[in-house]
Amino acid sequence: MGNYDEQRLENNQHANLELDLLLETVYRLSGYDFRQYNRASISRRVYNRMKINNIPTISRLQERVIHEEGYLTQLLNDFSINVTEMFRNPSFFRALRTDVIPKLRDYPEIRIWHAGCATGEEVFSMAILLEEEGLLDKAVIYATDMNERVLEKAKQGVFPIQRMQSYTKNYMLAGGNQAFSEYYKTDFQFAYFHSFLKKNIIFAQHNLVTDQSFNEFHLILCRNVLIYFSPPLQNQVHGLFYDSLSLNGFLCLGDKETLRFEELISNYEEVVASEKIYQKVK
Amino acid sequence: MNRIKLGIRSKITVGYIVIIVCLLISVIFLNAQITSLQKSRNHLIQFDSQVQTLTNNIEKSIKDMESSQRGYVITGETSYLEPYNNASSNWKVNYDKLRQIVAENPGQLKLLDEIKVTIDHWIANAGDPVIQMKRENRVEELEEFFRVDVGRKDTEAIQSQFESFLAIEAANIDERAAALDGRNQILTFGLFALLIIISLIAIGISSGISRMIVNTISDVTDTIRKIALSGGSHGERIKVKTQDEVRDLANATNYLLDTLEKREWLQKNIADIVTTYQGVSSITKLAQVFLSEVADRTETSYAAFYVRETVDNKVSYVKQASFAGDSATVGRENFKLGEGLIGQAAAEKRMFTNKGLPKDYRLIGTGLGEIPPNQVVILPIIYDDEAIAVIEIATMKEYDEQQLELVKQITETLGLTVNSILGRMEIVRLLNESRAMTEELQVQSEELQTQSEELQTQSEELQMQTDALTAINKQLEERTQDAEAKSKALEKAKKELEETAEQLRLNSNYKSEFLANMSHELRTPLNSILILSEMLVENGSNNLSDEEAEFARVIHSSGVDLLSLINDILDLSKVEAGKIDVLFGEVNLSELPAQMDQLFSPVANQKNIEFNITKADSVPEVFYTDAKKFQQILKNLLANAFKFTEQGSVSLNINRLNDQQVTTCMQNISPDWLEISVSDTGIGIPADKHQLIFETFQQADGATVRKYGGSGLGLSICREFSKLLGARITLASEEGKGSTFTLIIPSLPDGIAEEEQMHLSYAEMSAASAVDYDDIEELEALEAMEASRFEEQPVEEEAEEEKQAPALSPQNELEVFQNKRVLIVDDDNRNIYALKRVLENRGMTTLVAKDGLECLDIMREDHNIDVVLMDIMMPNMDGYETMSIIRNEMKLTDLPIIALTAKAMKNDRDKSLEAGASDYISKPLNLEQLFSVLRVWLVSKGVK
Repeated sequence: MGNYDEQRLENNQHANLELDLLLETVYRLSGYDFRQYNRASISRRVYNRMKINNIPTISRLQERVIHEEGYLTQLLNDFSINVTEMFRNPSFFRALRTDVIPKLRDYPEIRIWHAGCATGEEVFSMAILLEEEGLLDKAVIYATDMNERVLEKAKQGVFPIQRMQSYTKNYMLAGGNQAFSEYYKTDFQFAYFHSFLKKNIIFAQHNLVTDQSFNEFHLILCRNVLIYFSPPLQNQVHGLFYDSLSLNGFLCLGDKETLRFEELISNYEEVVASEKIYQKVK
Repeated sequence: MNRIKLGIRSKITVGYIVIIVCLLISVIFLNAQITSLQKSRNHLIQFDSQVQTLTNNIEKSIKDMESSQRGYVITGETSYLEPYNNASSNWKVNYDKLRQIVAENPGQLKLLDEIKVTIDHWIANAGDPVIQMKRENRVEELEEFFRVDVGRKDTEAIQSQFESFLAIEAANIDERAAALDGRNQILTFGLFALLIIISLIAIGISSGISRMIVNTISDVTDTIRKIALSGGSHGERIKVKTQDEVRDLANATNYLLDTLEKREWLQKNIADIVTTYQGVSSITKLAQVFLSEVADRTETSYAAFYVRETVDNKVSYVKQASFAGDSATVGRENFKLGEGLIGQAAAEKRMFTNKGLPKDYRLIGTGLGEIPPNQVVILPIIYDDEAIAVIEIATMKEYDEQQLELVKQITETLGLTVNSILGRMEIVRLLNESRAMTEELQVQSEELQTQSEELQTQSEELQMQTDALTAINKQLEERTQDAEAKSKALEKAKKELEETAEQLRLNSNYKSEFLANMSHELRTPLNSILILSEMLVENGSNNLSDEEAEFARVIHSSGVDLLSLINDILDLSKVEAGKIDVLFGEVNLSELPAQMDQLFSPVANQKNIEFNITKADSVPEVFYTDAKKFQQILKNLLANAFKFTEQGSVSLNINRLNDQQVTTCMQNISPDWLEISVSDTGIGIPADKHQLIFETFQQADGATVRKYGGSGLGLSICREFSKLLGARITLASEEGKGSTFTLIIPSLPDGIAEEEQMHLSYAEMSAASAVDYDDIEELEALEAMEASRFEEQPVEEEAEEEKQAPALSPQNELEVFQNKRVLIVDDDNRNIYALKRVLENRGMTTLVAKDGLECLDIMREDHNIDVVLMDIMMPNMDGYETMSIIRNEMKLTDLPIIALTAKAMKNDRDKSLEAGASDYISKPLNLEQLFSVLRVWLVSKGVK
């Protein structure tokens, strides 16, 4: 029994080492830094990939990453989780509409940063919201993600039609004041969102881990991204957001995330605590 | 200064005593003076009376002797001699007395001596002899004697001598009395003088004493006031030079101030320290802040902060922070309860103080060396009767009472803080744990979702692949079977094809001819429609309602649109049928800009768009082409540009191609070529649509049709006309950034040259251009093939979307609608009719209900309805109620119900949402939107 435990511990240590090496390799080869990501999540992704390709050890996987063309990209895609939906957590978008948008209304230009926009569902939701509030024309939405592949998808504004029923529900729950169908047309596979929604959206590759702030924003959305980061990395990214927010700007996090235990909390005020909407006050 | 204490009471008493003593002295002095004066007076009086008495006695003795002598003489009786004898002895006695009295006065003594001589003379000469004579009875002699009266002279002398003696004596007395009076006067003056002096002394003393007392008191009050004004007892103290009760008062006050100051210092420092660690959320931070604050205020050189930790029921204290030194070097890392003095302090929960530590005790490091501490204090921090933390501080000096008091007092409240921070840290730790867990859960759920999506995609792909494989298999089989048959049929078909091709060409000509004729025929009735509807719009007789007039306006404008469409078709069909005549002639290019400006400036102004025309100097004045067609092309291009430009500018640039730009082939056609470009900043055309837009009825985007209208014939006409003129049109455009159409046209004074050369030049040009016109014929053929499909599908906007979608079998699109059962709930027959037609066209089965009640009836019968289109305003039972019943009573929660609401009514949307609508579309219905929504709600969810 003891032997078995020892064996397992040793295996664990080996796996840890291998994972470290793999992540270092990925970083050195691609520039994508996953070394500070949530360890459990990353290792699950790696094991998932190993299971799919029937690879016994991480080292073998690493070999393929190094020597096999395209395999690195494959792995990077595995690493990026792009779960999103339109008007995800409708109550959040409702709160955004009632509690945040009115405070942005008087700005001559509204700069919004959607960090970690994945396939863009929430960016388009934001654009629809702004359109309905009459602010789309003076808003600029910077939609960024570290994964260029999903960014390419996001640029299309084309989403699977099967999900539109639930999006419609979300839209209505989020306080949409038009018919949702005003914004898209469909074929039997996809819903194509009208291009006027895209006119003020700038899609760009940006890595929260390695890249710096690139503008000053009135509103930053970064929902369900930080959960993939280790606490020190979360802290670092919060610093980035703080630096990128204008005074009285808003920071919106995912429903499972919070600013409450971050050192920076004293610089923020909770606007809608339940929806994780914070305002930078100093 | 060790001065004798002199109180206010003593000062006043001394003052009084001084005054009393002065008074006593003066009284005694006065008394002595008065007594001596009295004595002198008495002495004077006595002296005077004695002198008088003695003088009188002497005189009396003389008289007695005289009278006794005379009596004896007369009587002869010896008894009479007795007084004489007495007197003769008496007077001597008296005389001696007198002489004694006046002994000090030599003048008087002399007089007395004279008097004695006289008296003795009398006695010797008159007295005794007479008596002798009588005794001897010598009468004659007596008579003789009496006659001569020798004695008389003496007695008279005595009398006068006495008189002068007494006179001198009286004068003496008077003199002495006068002297006495003088002394008396002096005494009186002295008395007044004394009174004044004593009064002055009294006043002096009292004012001195009062000043002494009042000055000190006012000094004290001044100082106290100053201290009070300065807002505290910071340093200033009352200084008193005197040694009295005021000094005591000042000392007491100073002591009070000292005490207050100490207390204030304590309170201030405690408050300061407490403030510094307010809001501190970690125990280490608290310990650090606390130690540095305490050290700052107590001249502590060394300090460590231990916090109680319980691991497996074993209590130990672990160092959280230290002062003066990195935490590794100062103090031990941890200790157990009762271990060492510090452990003992924790166990006993009391303070330990050690002074005079040995030299080898832990040394306090400075930059230059190490110093041993002098005193160490260990303080347990008590909370809930437990030492939850222990502080040890050490100093090189010695802690004074106040510093110790500060430390003691501050640690009293620290327990609560430590406990609350520990509690808070525990809460934060637990919250963080729970947050980490929820985050982990979220991460896992997202990962799972991703994985399931991946699996789904994979299985779908697999499914598709197997489907495709089966299909390919089948096709292969069929094909091998067909192959033989086909090869046989091929030859036959080839022949037929040739025939058909000939026929097709004919047919196409017939078709175009037919269209040309048709257009003509169509214009006639259309004209009447236009005229009549215009009349109606003008509403001359005022018998139309506003709404009806609006209808008429719509009819009219539709008619106008139709007319222009027919004109376009006519033009196009004429070209295609070869029925158009091209008349080459002179064109004056100098007039062209003005013409175009005149034509399009109004449009530009109306749309608020800039319209710029530039013409290069190299452009010749005269150019040879078909003026009408040429202008038509330009007009169409410009009209097109204005139509699709919402803001910015439209520009027309006319240039002559220079020699380098004109290729040899082009040279063969004409040496003069113009390049006329029309640029706009409009919506632009995506690259993949560049070819398409020149096709009949085509626009870049289905959505464009809705937004901008138009038939899409304009560019086709341009293309056809430019062909006729030997010209070509190229397009450069980017979506969203505008487009530039460029017409490259030759000057042909002799009309068009051979077909061959034209084709050659096109090929050459098109190699460099975006649009390849050699493919145009193929495209046309494709279009013709699709035409049949168009007839079946009245809504054709999907053309573009289908191109975006991955190549899956087109049946899927049909499957979405095919045989789906839709229930139309509406009370308006026209609406029902229109919807029915549109939906049935897509292969859907329609059911109709005129109101909510009918709807419910139908639904109770028919359980296979796929979607409901629900109008809201209906008689009997409105849409809201109907939906509520469907959702709540019939429990059809998943059935898609699409509410048809009025656009303006926000309330409608909220209410329909509440009632359970799955989605809503606003009326009037946009067919594309309707089908979009229907796709959303009809698409099989199983695929997901």
